[in-house]
Amino acid sequence: MPVERVKERYASKVGEVVLGATPAEGGTRSHQVKVGGDSTLPFLHAEGVVANRPVIAMEVQDVIPEWNPVFTRPVADVMGDPGAWAQKCVEAFGADLIYLRLDGANPEKGGRKPDQCAATLRQVLGAVKVPVIVVGSGVDEADDEVMPVVAEAGAGENLLLGTATQDHYKTLTAACMVHKHSIVALSPIDINICKQLNILISEMNLPLERIVIDPTVGALGYGIEYTYSIMERIRLGALSGDRMMSMPVLCTIGYEVNRAKETAAGAAEFPTWGEVGDRAVLWEAMTASCFMQAGGHIFVLRHPTSVKLLRQQIDALMAGK
Amino acid sequence: MSNCTVLFQPDGRKVRVAAGTDLRRAAALAGIELKSACGGEGTCGSCVVKVLRGRYAILGGKSRQKQGLVLACRTAVLGDLEVEVPALSRLEEHRVLLEELAANATLAEREFDSLERHGFHPVVHKTLAVLDPPTLTENASDLTRLLTRFRPEDGRPTPAIGLRAMRQLPLAVREGGWRVTATVADVGGKEEILRLEPGSSRRPAYGLAIDIGTTSCVVNLVDMRSGLVIDRRGAFNRQARYGDDVITRIIHATEQPEGLQQLNRAVLDTLNDLVDRLLLANDLRADDLTVAKVAGNTTMAHLFLSVPPDHIRREPYIPAAVSFPVLRAGELGLTMNKAAPVFTFPAVASYVGGDIVAGVLVTGMAQGEEVTLFIDIGTNGEIVLGNRDWLVACACSAGPCFEGGGITCGMRATPGAVERIEVEPGGREVRVRTVGGLPPAGICGSGLVDAMAALYEAQVIDRVGNFRDLDSPRLRGGPDGPEFVLAEGPEREIVLTGADLKNLIRAKGAVYAGIRSLLAAVQLPEDAIARVFVAGGFGNYLNLRDAVRVGMLPDLDPSRYHFVGNSSVKGARLALLSRRAWAEADRLARQMTYLELSASRSYMEEFVSALFLPHTDLSLFPSVTEQEVSACP
Repeated sequence: MPVERVKERYASKVGEVVLGATPAEGGTRSHQVKVGGDSTLPFLHAEGVVANRPVIAMEVQDVIPEWNPVFTRPVADVMGDPGAWAQKCVEAFGADLIYLRLDGANPEKGGRKPDQCAATLRQVLGAVKVPVIVVGSGVDEADDEVMPVVAEAGAGENLLLGTATQDHYKTLTAACMVHKHSIVALSPIDINICKQLNILISEMNLPLERIVIDPTVGALGYGIEYTYSIMERIRLGALSGDRMMSMPVLCTIGYEVNRAKETAAGAAEFPTWGEVGDRAVLWEAMTASCFMQAGGHIFVLRHPTSVKLLRQQIDALMAGK
Repeated sequence: MSNCTVLFQPDGRKVRVAAGTDLRRAAALAGIELKSACGGEGTCGSCVVKVLRGRYAILGGKSRQKQGLVLACRTAVLGDLEVEVPALSRLEEHRVLLEELAANATLAEREFDSLERHGFHPVVHKTLAVLDPPTLTENASDLTRLLTRFRPEDGRPTPAIGLRAMRQLPLAVREGGWRVTATVADVGGKEEILRLEPGSSRRPAYGLAIDIGTTSCVVNLVDMRSGLVIDRRGAFNRQARYGDDVITRIIHATEQPEGLQQLNRAVLDTLNDLVDRLLLANDLRADDLTVAKVAGNTTMAHLFLSVPPDHIRREPYIPAAVSFPVLRAGELGLTMNKAAPVFTFPAVASYVGGDIVAGVLVTGMAQGEEVTLFIDIGTNGEIVLGNRDWLVACACSAGPCFEGGGITCGMRATPGAVERIEVEPGGREVRVRTVGGLPPAGICGSGLVDAMAALYEAQVIDRVGNFRDLDSPRLRGGPDGPEFVLAEGPEREIVLTGADLKNLIRAKGAVYAGIRSLLAAVQLPEDAIARVFVAGGFGNYLNLRDAVRVGMLPDLDPSRYHFVGNSSVKGARLALLSRRAWAEADRLARQMTYLELSASRSYMEEFVSALFLPHTDLSLFPSVTEQEVSACP
């Protein structure tokens, strides 16, 4: 007797966000990148449409970062030159997007001025043709100065700008409105705050298809299951028709993995753990892989090898299409 | 030795006091009650008076006031004095707790025909006994003679007699010519003669219905013959000087030497003061008060009875007891007839106390079939859901902000408190109304709910309570971040800070999340709630529309809402007048299923989703969101 395959049908789907603008759209990118649009749970090609491939962004900073050596080694030659760094990520490592973090705007890390930050962005835009994500330093007062100027400098490029939080979203939302960018809405592993922030931003009249959710991820071994279930619920919310949870999801994997002890401690300290190099790369790849299953769309990574590993997995999972 | 005369203006009242008496006490003797949030500790600054003439000394050294302005509680009389008492320093009647003012209330308070349900059968009654005089041959004792008159024709057992009554017996019977009025009480199922008066007493027996709230206490004087409340008084609980909420008081009771005794003393002083005022106003003596029913939360009950409350606050939150013995006023130290039985309402659990049991009792929600929600919002929020077949209860830590605690310009609902607020879109114009129409001195619970709704509606704040970027002189940077000026008071500006708004949103979220958790526990939708009884603190003055707009109360048809005022004291009164009702209270306390929210995984999630105006799930508040949609161009 043939087994009938039970298929779930969903009322709605994840919204699609378009990043970047080609000269036709008023920008200078060679192509646009679309994320989201899924009408099913991750990679269930038989049940619905996985409209777009998950994409990988590589992280670039305006100042030399204090990352674990494993992550700085492949880019040591270009750190300090954001343009060259971005170029290497795209041309040598195959990044789909560049994630530019303006950490130098933090007063404790140099306090770079708005026009300096804008210059950095122009440098990166000039060096690569892929769409660009730009986030501030995380210091609200500094970002309030920097991000409106950065948004203006990138006008027409349809950037993805971050990061909006529940207590600090207005300036950035306004900048995105004026200069026609999209926004990253960050919530602290809490589905309610995630939704609340989306409502707050959309009530300032930024369209829903210009919002990307950053639900806050945890690295493997650091409460990864909490974000996993939050992301799963975001996806189920989107599929069941909750428009305020229907945005694509961005995961700052590299940042979280870099904070894990397992990506820094050497073999001398923990002989049974093996060499830190492989371990750190696998840690990043595994964490990303896990969140891809949970429903992530944009993965921000630091190490070129994990980028390669994740891309192989994306290829395999999308092959079932 | 009363050697100094103090003249109080503008009343023109004079008292003679001993040198060294403090002015607060002198004022009290003159019948002028001053505010005293700190209980005479010299810290709250609310009892400011002006010395016009005469000699005085500031206790504890320095005066922080100018131009003869002094704190009455810290000022000792040294000679003849003339003192002016400003209106703002006078203790006004407690608006939120005394029902007389209910006429101004937003929604009329619901009266219950609860006596009809339970039957009028007072705990105490007086009865005239006519005895046969003794002779040489008929020489039974006075007591035998008396008890013969109680010989059960109605099948009830012969009452016992208390020692005090026995001591009154030989004189009373002879003075009354062998006619004596006995006050007979039901003391935990047994009848007892408490008091004997010679002859036929025209006065009825009197009882006290007492509500001990964390913030305020209320005493009703009840005529046990007619069942009417003859008079009532309310005052702030003097325990407040040891902390605003039950937790700090429990810590005080546990960690301070004598802490428990201090707290017990404070509440007894509060009650005795109220009783003294009732006695004076009604020309009664302490001996005339022959029974009391006391309702209070579990911690208040512990402190009232001097039972160590420590484990109420420690996981797993176990009270020493939830049902309490019947005690005598004499052993407790209440100003009443020393033999008067004092009954304390049974509690459900550590955070759902006898006050809630009394409320459920008087609303009759446990008698009908309709699913009813009972909410008591005071220093804490307690919620009961159910009908005659089942009852679930929980406590949500809403915190003291609806009583004005923890809010920059918060105050209780006394004259001068802002209770209504209208804000023009954009927040440039604000209109406020205060209790009693006095110049604004602060903002009370109902005003705070109003403010939340009005500021959101006027687009001054967003849905999480953050101020929007606004071009209004009222929005400014303050010492604790941005703040919004609501009104200009004579003594200070009345502002709401960003932190205040966050506090309020947490408080309203806690209440709503509690309601959702109870509904989830019994798997009922909101619409299954047929009636909502709102009791407690600001009950009557709460603007229902605003409470729904901010997402504190469920979006149900307004006709389902009923304000029940201080249901705790009403329940106590009912229990005085109906023995069946008292038995029912006992049953209710045992029947209620207590839901410990701190052990509930879903509560935290409900709470966070309620930290939004009105709620993260806007579809839960259709009437609010409809209005918003239609308000858009």
